[in-house]
Order: sequence, then structure tokens, then C-alpha cells
Amino acid sequence: MDLSPSTTPAPSGAPREHDGATAVRARGLRKTYGSGEAAVHALAGVDIDFEAGAFTAIMGPSGSGKSTLMHLLAGLDQATAGQAWLGTTDVTTLGDQQLTELRRDRIGFVFQSFNLLPMFTAEQNILLPLELAGTAVDRTWFATLADTLGIADRLTHRPSQLSGGQQQRVAIARALIAKPEVVFADEPTGNLDSRSGAQVLSFLRRSVRELGRTIIMVTHDPSAAAYADRVVMIADGRIAGDISSPTPESVLAGLDALRSLDEPAVR
Amino acid sequence: MLRLTLAQMRRSLGRLAAAGVAIAIGTAFLTATLLAGNALTRTTYDALTTTFADADLVVLSNAGLTPTELDALREVPGVDAVGTEHVLGVEMAGPGGVAWTGVRTEAVHPRLESSNPAEGRLPSSGSEVALPGSLADRLEVGLGDTVTSLVTAFTEDPAAADGTTTTEVRKERLTVVGVLEDGAAEVLGMPGDAIVSDTTFDAWAGLTGSSDETAYLDLALMALAPGSDVGATQDAARAALEGTDAIVRTQDEHAMALLEELTGQTRGLTSVVLAFGAVALLVAALVIANTFQVLVAQRTRTLALLRCVGADRRQLRRSVVVEALLLGVAASLTGLLVGAGVIQVVLAILGSSTDVPVPATITPSVAAVVVPLLAGVIVTVGASLTPARAATRVSPLAALAPVTAPRLAERGGRVRAWFAGLLVVGGTAGLVLGMLAVSIDPMLGLGIAVLGGAVSFVGVLVGAVFWVPRVVGLLGRGAARLGGPPARLAAANSIRNPRRTSATSAALLIGVTLVAMMATGAATTRVALDRTLDERFAVDVAVTGAAPEVTRDGLPEGFVTTVSELDGVGATSLLTGAPVEVTWPDGGDAPMSVTAQGVELDEVRELMRAPEHVDGLTDGTVLVPEQVTRWYGIPESGTVTISGSSGELTLDVVTTSFEADAVLLTKDTLDEIAPGAPANALWLTLDDLDSASELVTTIADTAADTELAVSTAGAAVERAFYQRVVDTLLAVVVGLLGVAVVIALVGVANTLSLSVIERRRESATLRAIGLSRRQLRSTLAVEGVLIALVGALVGSLLGLVYGWAGAWTLLGELADVSLVVPWAHLGLVLVVAVLAGLLASVLPGRSAARTSPVEALAVD
Repeated sequence: MDLSPSTTPAPSGAPREHDGATAVRARGLRKTYGSGEAAVHALAGVDIDFEAGAFTAIMGPSGSGKSTLMHLLAGLDQATAGQAWLGTTDVTTLGDQQLTELRRDRIGFVFQSFNLLPMFTAEQNILLPLELAGTAVDRTWFATLADTLGIADRLTHRPSQLSGGQQQRVAIARALIAKPEVVFADEPTGNLDSRSGAQVLSFLRRSVRELGRTIIMVTHDPSAAAYADRVVMIADGRIAGDISSPTPESVLAGLDALRSLDEPAVR
Repeated sequence: MLRLTLAQMRRSLGRLAAAGVAIAIGTAFLTATLLAGNALTRTTYDALTTTFADADLVVLSNAGLTPTELDALREVPGVDAVGTEHVLGVEMAGPGGVAWTGVRTEAVHPRLESSNPAEGRLPSSGSEVALPGSLADRLEVGLGDTVTSLVTAFTEDPAAADGTTTTEVRKERLTVVGVLEDGAAEVLGMPGDAIVSDTTFDAWAGLTGSSDETAYLDLALMALAPGSDVGATQDAARAALEGTDAIVRTQDEHAMALLEELTGQTRGLTSVVLAFGAVALLVAALVIANTFQVLVAQRTRTLALLRCVGADRRQLRRSVVVEALLLGVAASLTGLLVGAGVIQVVLAILGSSTDVPVPATITPSVAAVVVPLLAGVIVTVGASLTPARAATRVSPLAALAPVTAPRLAERGGRVRAWFAGLLVVGGTAGLVLGMLAVSIDPMLGLGIAVLGGAVSFVGVLVGAVFWVPRVVGLLGRGAARLGGPPARLAAANSIRNPRRTSATSAALLIGVTLVAMMATGAATTRVALDRTLDERFAVDVAVTGAAPEVTRDGLPEGFVTTVSELDGVGATSLLTGAPVEVTWPDGGDAPMSVTAQGVELDEVRELMRAPEHVDGLTDGTVLVPEQVTRWYGIPESGTVTISGSSGELTLDVVTTSFEADAVLLTKDTLDEIAPGAPANALWLTLDDLDSASELVTTIADTAADTELAVSTAGAAVERAFYQRVVDTLLAVVVGLLGVAVVIALVGVANTLSLSVIERRRESATLRAIGLSRRQLRSTLAVEGVLIALVGALVGSLLGLVYGWAGAWTLLGELADVSLVVPWAHLGLVLVVAVLAGLLASVLPGRSAARTSPVEALAVD
């Protein structure tokens, strides 16, 4: 597991200044399905920190445990062992109601298949988390989001009247509306063509750089991962590499290194 | 293909089971109705045969059998005995009150005696009596106790040459020596007769002027000598009665003939109940159609895949229909067993806890098994045909297409809209036409009105897909404003699938409309009848003495006080009464003898529901009921002379519409012509008219306690009777329709759980962005309540209109019918709907709440 981090400069713009605070942290995080001989270690003890105000990609082949890691960090699934913190809150100890409130106020989600509610307009979809929490709408923030994501003229449309890319941008606005501490994005470009995908990824990056949000994205697409400030490689339920300021090339190189490591071990 | 169908059924077992419950309830209802009908027929047959004891032949005559004819019968060879049923009507008094009963002597031949003593023996001497068990219970007497017989004797007045008779009640004390078995005939509402000795019977027959020679005998029973041939004797008896209208039947022939008459009524009743069964099955059909529609939608991908690998349209359709067939058979069989079980349990309970001689086991006739089974299967398969066609329309391409968000299902087409509109407009026109035509031909009008109403209701149901979403939307907006996010989500969700929501609401609508219609009809009928009764009767209850001594001496003070102080009795007024004679110019020579009652005007005005009836009564007038003017020919205007025991007055006639058989004067006027007239009538009002039936019974009991024969009449008495009839009918009908409502609620639960399955991804998304479990559950609860409430609200409204129209059509000619809203019933319906909507959401809500937010992230 000794993969030296790449030092290739970021694809565009100057290297960014992070404030260095940790948004999400995991220690000895483990998830096992089944028991005894049939036990499958989806996550075999992960220690990792995610910086606040950064765009981090979690990468790995399918079955590597990257989705499991995200589920545990977001409090969507129960860990077998270990701990995960959001800020100073240990999410592995919370009950269902507390987790619901945590998701409502402090976490945002972006899904691969957008998951907008078909009976509501774009605006209603974006404001839904605030409505569920019963908090007032910050109109300025709403306008900023709509402008930044380029959906200001689509707000009265229903999801069925929007393109895939537009739907995903509405979903991003929904994830950001409550100003959560962290946004988890699960393969946000998985259902999009490459142009819309690129657009969505730039929006995610802009929302980190210009709006100061923290985003953790799970993907298996190296070119998507290259939009991030940092790429964490996962293989067989372990951290297998860490690339800061990635480029598509450096990510691919990292993947190749993984594959050459894995090949003798697997099968 | 069958294997595939079975595999698919296994996967949707829960769904199918829920739909199957609807069918099972319907078939159970049908089975129970048919089996109960069978049991009733058997009970009736048994009851009929016991009435004829062990008689071999039964002779019937409308003209009445004469002594000569009876003697002729006795002389027919092979006849052992001929018995007739000469019955006298006599009143019996005991500690429990006074009751009227038939009295006869022991049958002439033991094989012709239908009553056997359960205790004691039959009477042998003059002062003995054997009472039927039910009568002994009513009089509260047992073996060795005494009862008093009250026989009304007619004696010719020796002073009057024209043969006028006077009546007198003869009292006699009798010892109860036997209590008779309550025969099966009691079931038919034919209470047994009391039996007295020959001497007592002859004495009473003499008093009442009903001797064997003059009695009207329409029935004779014949016992044959051992070894004689029934057929031959029957022919001989027929020959002996040649030239009369008498019929000679064997006992079995007669029982079958009577059964035919009686079961004609039973069959009528059964078919009414079966009509409610049909309603229940119709509702079940809607539920089934709904379920299959969703099953097909859920399996779109599988169906498309099958098309890709070579299944043709026919195979897909067959698969759906076979599934419905299997479900129909399974559910109908279950319903059949449940229905049979219920009736068997009822029979067992009746048999062990009451004296009613019911059969011990059910009689499963072919019809009772085949009809429900066939109906259940046909309804299920029929309901699946449209969804089956939808299955054939799945394109093979659908298997390759990406998963799309649940489509917002289209509303109905233009053709449907026109069709529904046409039915509603045409049906309503028919209803109105029928209501108008009633004045020309009641039956024709009623027929047109019923048909029109039914057609317009079908139109409402067909058009449900157009109006239900709008009403749900309207209600939903209200709910969204009141409730938080769950209510908003529910409101938005409930109109996403207009077709399904409509079908679900419509299923509930059917039951609710019919219940509301019946309740409104009943309430409207009751008020209309009440109003008619107020016109016809002066007061709620008028108590008068039935016995001559009460008329002569007045009502005992104790009795009057007790009645006045009864709970629920309002104002009371005592009336004096005396016989008077009325003469008028051109009235011929003979004066008319009538009873005059003296009223205290102020008191009476207080307690009359229509005081204007006594408006014309003053010290100088006499109030004559129209009925009395008709009976006696008293003129409706002008003056009459009324003479009492010590004086006469000439008074102006004022008529009134209420029914009475006495003329009314003011108390002072009556005092002038008949001083010291006894207070022998009591008028009273009731505080609460709805309690009329109990109070009238209480008053009669109070009278019986003082061994007083009084008669009660008045609006409340009639009202008590109508009320019982209307209420009983309503209770039965609502109970029957309840079955349809229960099935519809199964449908609501079904629809909700389908929504839960369809929206699993959405629920997970909502959970991921911060919807709590409780909020998710309340979302479904609100949706369930919305759907149920729409059915209940619209159903109540429609029921109100139909119920009123129905009452108007039936009674418009007889009474003034105005719309009466049965608030209590409608309120109950709404409460039940809301509760049911909540209840229906419990299970789906729990399954939805189990959804993990992780599922939102899953692809496909």
C-alpha cells in the first residue's frame, strides 16, 4: 500500500488555500457483512480525514467499498466497528431521529439518478429540506444558488420538463440550500452525457471554491475525479492511495498502480 | 408459461392476498345469505308440519265447513276422527298484565292434538286451563297459579224490542294446570292457543254467541283408521264434499303448498339481500381491477423482457387472466368456507340458546355453493380483463429503456368524459321525470325514478376519474395549508395517479352513497309521517278506559298520577266524558248517541302539537271531528242540539281534521248538560318523540299493573310503530351495506401500500434529506384520509339527494316531504371514513418507514 502521492499541479487555477479544519473524520471504520467464514469485509478499518472547504473524490473500482465508506460517513448505515465524526459529532452513536436531524441540517446529498420529486417544481424541490426542517428560506442564498447553477429560468418547471443535467443541478441546489457542513455526492455524473457531466462537475467545484462548501464525491470515473482537490483511492475496503491536486493523468496512473497491485492478489 | 405465472404470483403474494380478501368477503356474504335462506325454509317447513299434528288429511274451505259437511266427512270409510279448530278470542289477566289469546278445547283425537304439555297436563275440569309457554311467560304465571279470564258477553237487552245488545265483561278465575310446548309455529308468528275443558269452552261460546253450529270453520284435520289407504280416503272425502269449494290435501301436500306461499316472501327477502351482495361484489371488482392494474405496471420490465425473448401478446394476456382465475378460485373458496362457517355457528348458537327449532346443520344446496363460487370467479376474472389488455400493450423496447420516474398517469379520454356526462344528465332527467310521473302512475313513476337514479350514479362512477382528482386536490390544498410538510407531500401524492385514486374513492363512494341514501330516506320519511300524524291526531297519546266501569267512574287517581310522573311524559290534561245525544234540523227522528268530551282549553292548547285544531272551540260551539260527521251524518256547519243527563244546549258546529270518535265541548259546557261527568280520558305529550315506543309500552304496563283495561291512541302510538319499522329496516340495510364499505376500505389500504412500493425510491430520498420516520408515516395517513374523505363526503352528498328524491317519489303523494339531513348518521359516516383512512395507512406506513435512506442511492 505504498503509493506515493502525485505532485502534479492542478489542471487549472492556482493551488487553493484551505483553512485546514477537518469536516469529516473516520477512525478504524469497519463494515462486515455476514459472519464466520462467510464474512465479507466491505470496509476493513479505515482512518481518514476530510478537510473542510475542499472537494474530495473517493475513487475505486466497483465493490471496493467506496460507497460503503460514504454511507457510514453520512450516517446512512451502521458501522460494525470504529467511529466517524461530522465536525465533533460522532455519527456512529446517533439514533434514527438524531440522524434524521443531522441529515436535515448538516448534510446534503446528490444522487446518481437525481431523485427529484416528480410532483413538485424545481423551486419546491430545492426548498424541500428547509420545509422539512421548518426553517426560513434565505432568499439571497437561494438566488445565488439558482444563478450559479444556471437554473434561474427553470424554477417553475417540473422534473419531467428538465434535461438530466438540469435535474442534477436542481438536485445540487437542493443539497446546498440548507448550507450543510458537507455534501455527499454519489456518482453525480453517472446518468449524464459527458457534456452535462462536465458542467455538473464544474458547478460542484465552483460551489466549493466560490461558495466555500465541502463536498465528498464518490465516483469510478477518473476524469470526474480530476475535478476534485484531492482523490482518495479505495481498494478491497482499504485506503489504497491519496492524490492531491489530481489531473486525469495522475488519477489514471494511480488506478494503474492499484490494478498492478491488485492483479496478483485477486483471482 | 403457467410456471412463470405462478412465480410472479408468489412474488406478489401480499398484494394478491389483500385483493383476495375483498372477493372473499363478497362471496362469504353471498354464501351466508343463500344458506340462511335454506335454513329458514327448512325451519318454516318443520314449523308448518307440526301445526297439523299427525293428521293424515287436511280439509280447507273458504266458505266455511258446515256441520253437515263435517258429518259427511266423518262417515267416509276409513276415517277415524275429524277435528276442527273452533277458537274463541278471550283476554287473560295475570300478574304480568293482560293478553289476548285464542282458546280451544283438546283435539278430538290424540293424533290431531298439536300441543303437548311441557309441564303439567291438559285441563279436565271447568276451572282449569293450559297455557302456551309464551303466554304463561307474558302473564308471569306457572303451574298452580291462577289467571283471570275476561270474556266479553253479548246479551240481548230484554227491554229493547229491536234486539239491541249490551256488552258485559265476565271474569272467571282459572287454575293453570299445564304449560304447553311452544311449537315450531311460534317461529312463524302463530302463537299457540290456550286449552280449556269442554264445559268451560261451551259456556264461553254461549256467552260470545259463537256455537259450533254458527262458527266459521275453514280448516278440518282428519285422522285415518289404522291400515286405511290415504289416497283412496282422500278421493272418498273429495267425493263427500262434491259441490263445495273445499279442498282435501294430504298433510305433506298442504305443508308444501303453504311453504310455497311463505317462501315466496322469504325468496323476496333473499333477493333483496342478494342485491346487497351484488353491490359488495361490484365494490370488490373495483378493488381487484385496481390491484391488477398496478401489478401489471409493476411488472412492465418483466413483461417487456418476456416480449423480447419471444412471448406473444396472447400469452401475456393469458398469464394475467390465469392469475386472476387462480386468485378468484382461491378467494371464492375461502369466502365459501367462511360464509358457511358463520351460518353454522349462528345455527349452533340459536339452537342452544333459544327455543327456536332451527336445523342443527346447514343445508348446502347446489345453488348455495355454485352461485357464490361462480360469482366470485367471474367478478375477479372480469375485473382483470382491462389490466390484461394493458399487459399486451407493453412494448419489448420497455425492457431496454432506462428506469423512468413513475409516470403521471393520464386522465380518462374524451369518450369516457362524454359517456359519463351523458349518463349523469340523462339519469338525472329520468329521476326528475319519474318523480313527476308518480302523480300519474305511482309504479311507473317509481320505476323510472329508480332507473334514472341508478343510471346517473353509474355516470358519476364512470366519471370519477375526472372529478375525484379535483376534489382531492381541493381538499389537499386545505390540508396542506393546515398541516406541515407531510400534509403537503400527501396532497401532492394523492393526485399523482388520478385513475387509481379515483377507483379507490369510487369503491368507497358506492357504499357510503347507499348508506347515506337509506339514512336520508328514513329520516325524511319519518318527518313526513310525523307531520301527517300531527294532522291526524290531536295529541301524542290519549288514554281512555276500555272497560265500561272506567267510562262510568273515571280513571283511577293513582293511575293518572303515576302516568303523569313518568319520565318523559310532558304536559297532561284530564278530560271529562259523558254520553250525549245529538239532534239537528233535518236530522230525522232518531237522535245520535255519541260521547262528548269536556276539555280545559288552556291546558289542551299547551299540549297539542297543532293547537289550531281547537281554534273554533268556545263555550258556544261543539268541535266535531270530520270522521264523526261522516259516521253519524252530523252536518259540518250550522247548529245542533246536544242533550245530556240534565239539560240540553244548541251549539254551533265547528269541524276539525283530527281523528277521534267523540265530539269535544269545553268542560264548562259539558258540566252544564251533564254535571259531574267523570274524568275518564287523559291526554298527554311526550318530551321526546323518539322515545315514544318505550313510553307507550310503559303506560300500557302501568295500566296492566292496576288491572285496568285502557286503550292508548294518538300520534305517538302510531309513531312508535312506524319508528320501529323504519329503524329496523334502516339498521338491517346499513348492516348489509357495511360489508361493501369494509371491502372498499381493504381497497384503500391496498392503494396506499401500492403507493408505498412505487415510491420506495422517493421515500428513501425524502428520508435522506431529512424526513423523519414519523413524518413519513403521517404522510401516508393524510393520503389515506384524503382518499377516504372524498369518497365519504361526495357519497354523503349524493346519498342526501338520492334519499330525498326516493322519499319524495314514494311519499310525495301522501305527505309533505321536505329534505331532512340525518346529521348524526352522516357525521358517523365521516368519522368512520377518517378513522378507516388512518387505519388503512397503518400497515403501509410501517413498511414505508422501514425504508432505509440508502435505497435512494441505489441504482434501479
